[in-house]
Amino acid sequence: MARTVRVTVDHNVCVGNAMCETIAPKVFVLNANRQSEAVDPAGDTVEKILDAAENCPVSAIIVEDAETGERLFP
Amino acid sequence: MMATRTMHDDMFTPDVIADPYTYYGQLREEDPIHWNEKYQLWVVTSYDDVVWLTRHHELFSSAVFKNDPRPAYPDINESDLGLYEYVRQYQADQFIQHDRPEHLEMRKVVHGYFTPKSTEAWRPFVQSAINDLLDAAEAKGSMDVMRDFATPLPVLVIAQMMGVPRQDRPYVRHLAEKLLNIGRGELDRMKPLTEGMQGMIDYVSPLVDERLVNPGDDFISVLAQGEKAGVFTRHQVLVNASLLLLAGHETTINLLCNGTLAFIRHPEQWEILTQDPASWTVRATEECLRYDAPVKSIQRITSQDVDIRGKLLRQNDRIRWFISSANRDPKPFADPDRFDISRHPNPHVAFGSGIHHCLGASLARLEGQEAFKALAERFPTLHLATDELEYQPSITFRSLKSLPVTWN
Repeated sequence: MARTVRVTVDHNVCVGNAMCETIAPKVFVLNANRQSEAVDPAGDTVEKILDAAENCPVSAIIVEDAETGERLFP
Repeated sequence: MMATRTMHDDMFTPDVIADPYTYYGQLREEDPIHWNEKYQLWVVTSYDDVVWLTRHHELFSSAVFKNDPRPAYPDINESDLGLYEYVRQYQADQFIQHDRPEHLEMRKVVHGYFTPKSTEAWRPFVQSAINDLLDAAEAKGSMDVMRDFATPLPVLVIAQMMGVPRQDRPYVRHLAEKLLNIGRGELDRMKPLTEGMQGMIDYVSPLVDERLVNPGDDFISVLAQGEKAGVFTRHQVLVNASLLLLAGHETTINLLCNGTLAFIRHPEQWEILTQDPASWTVRATEECLRYDAPVKSIQRITSQDVDIRGKLLRQNDRIRWFISSANRDPKPFADPDRFDISRHPNPHVAFGSGIHHCLGASLARLEGQEAFKALAERFPTLHLATDELEYQPSITFRSLKSLPVTWN
């Protein structure tokens, strides 16, 4: 079975650069404040989600293994 | 009761240049969306409005040079109008002077080179460059932080990123200094500026030819791949290479100088940093970016009529949004005029916000962290060696002219 992940965006840090939305648009959507929300962590592959997190210019995206809680990024 | 002062609209008077915080702070309190009659532009000063504006890129265009046919400000020599046209066309090809969808395609080419993770790989090079520069300063017993440390450091880093051969570095630094005229106010600034721009084009073009054949892991190769993919024209490749040189140069100089000065003027904060530089330098750098930001203001141009809090901004109106006042807004920042390196979280807008958030932010942070750490470790008794400090008469950059220091 594929790994499932928990994805959170730190809104104290997110600047709405929107690169995450460009890379994984089913997972990340900008809210009314134009900050990213992780709306569906199952919306794309884990690789795409990690790619989005790595491309966040302020490292606002936290990705963890949903079962073990292991921190996958950053 | 104090009478309400009448705000003047000259943003280049010596008092506003020396202390932008009082002037723009007063505007923020009295008229946060202010029509500046003298320069015919909107001055936006509150934190919330700056964040809102920068995140609504569809309303506020970044293609300022392309869309704004009005003359340069501050004024330039009338005989230099032809040179200004050259500058306009040059600037208009920078990726930061584009809106979506072109901006996104261009940014995607260069974005990966500057992520926090990619940038981290540069830390050892930055540390070593800092050590070399501070070794030379230590041997002399004093330094001008501007000339001897803050100016050469970013050029060394950028030259390395561009794969510039060591023997060419002084020439690139010479061009970089000419490019700094973009943010200056002198009447005759167009001549050295255009010389710097054309010099970069002439210097970088053969490097691009070479990298198209033999791509490496340098930034010119990244841009050359963008040309190969049809995202950039050759002129855009060359202009964006000099954008890296300019944007990474002046801003880093200001971060290092303004931050060092903030520490000198707040000995109790310097004391905290010198006690444990490695632990404090990350938060200290963020507070330097907030307290006396390298960039004071950025331009936009309205894409359509926009109503902000009852003020009607018409399509094609000029706008400047002020980082300097947003970063001192009491709404998000308690005791905003206090320099406090323990401030956390510190959601300053020194790098802007939204889709145009500074591409080089991670690199600037890294250079600041390593520079303040090294200064605190090596020169804990650092103090000013002058009574007079002067700033460049720029509306864009918060640039000291020099910062002489010494130590015991």
